[in-house]
Amino acid sequence: MDKKEESAGERKLQCSDVSKCFELLESILDGEMGDPGKEVLKEKLAKCQPCFEHYHLEQAIRDLLKTKCSKQAVPGELVDSIRTKISDIK
Amino acid sequence: MSEVQRRKYSQEEKNSIFDGEFMPHIDSMYNFAYRLTFDEDDAKDLVQDTYLKAYRFINSFEQGTNAKAWLFRILKNSFINEYRKKSKQPAKVDYQEVETYYNSDDVDFRGTTDLRAESVKDMIGDEISNALNSLAVDFRTVIILCDLEGFTYEEMAKILDIPIGTVRSRLHRARNLLKEKLKGYAQHMGYNTDEEE
Ligand SMILES: [Zn+2]
Repeated sequence: MDKKEESAGERKLQCSDVSKCFELLESILDGEMGDPGKEVLKEKLAKCQPCFEHYHLEQAIRDLLKTKCSKQAVPGELVDSIRTKISDIK
Repeated sequence: MSEVQRRKYSQEEKNSIFDGEFMPHIDSMYNFAYRLTFDEDDAKDLVQDTYLKAYRFINSFEQGTNAKAWLFRILKNSFINEYRKKSKQPAKVDYQEVETYYNSDDVDFRGTTDLRAESVKDMIGDEISNALNSLAVDFRTVIILCDLEGFTYEEMAKILDIPIGTVRSRLHRARNLLKEKLKGYAQHMGYNTDEEE
């Protein structure tokens, strides 16, 4: 195997089962696979270039959503209004 | 809302559950409502309505279980059953249609975009928010629940009343749609979206 790029040197350039692999990677990223998932992940990322790229793209998108999505402040009167309505039906 | 009434809480217990387990989620609830309706007044109504229902049906809430998921489920049902009906804004996608069309668990997980992680990292809040907001409500919802609110697939399945396999496949489709939108922004910004050969 030719090693033109250090990071991709050991990885195969074709994924043997993209659909299965990507589904698994996405479940791992969503925290659904627990510790066994971490082992599987290590192996996939070390051995498969398409999996490596897909993982990093999916992770970047999750990070972007988590950290940069704009949040609305709760309108100040909402809590009071809920409490008033609740005490009416108590 | 759970159908079974487990037992009756005393007035004191009700107050303590409401203040201690329900109200702390108001921030997430309001943001969820706002991302569904895109309107401050509608979001306020939806959240208020949800909290009133939560109080009325508090006996069907089992203390110690996930209050946030329970509340989100009420809010989502209120949105579908009431808000969406009286909304002037017609839903972009008919819910029933989406359900039957997209409920297949068979989904091809092969990647569809050549968007690069590097260009995603450079994006700003407006771009990701606009991309998310432009998705049809059912796709938007799964991304909000999973990525913004951190619910598990199992919790999402309960909130949305769909099987876990459907959660997984709908999330995958939703993220692919999101990637398509982000790719549009990336190209507009002149980032390179081509794969390295
Ligand atoms: Zn692979």
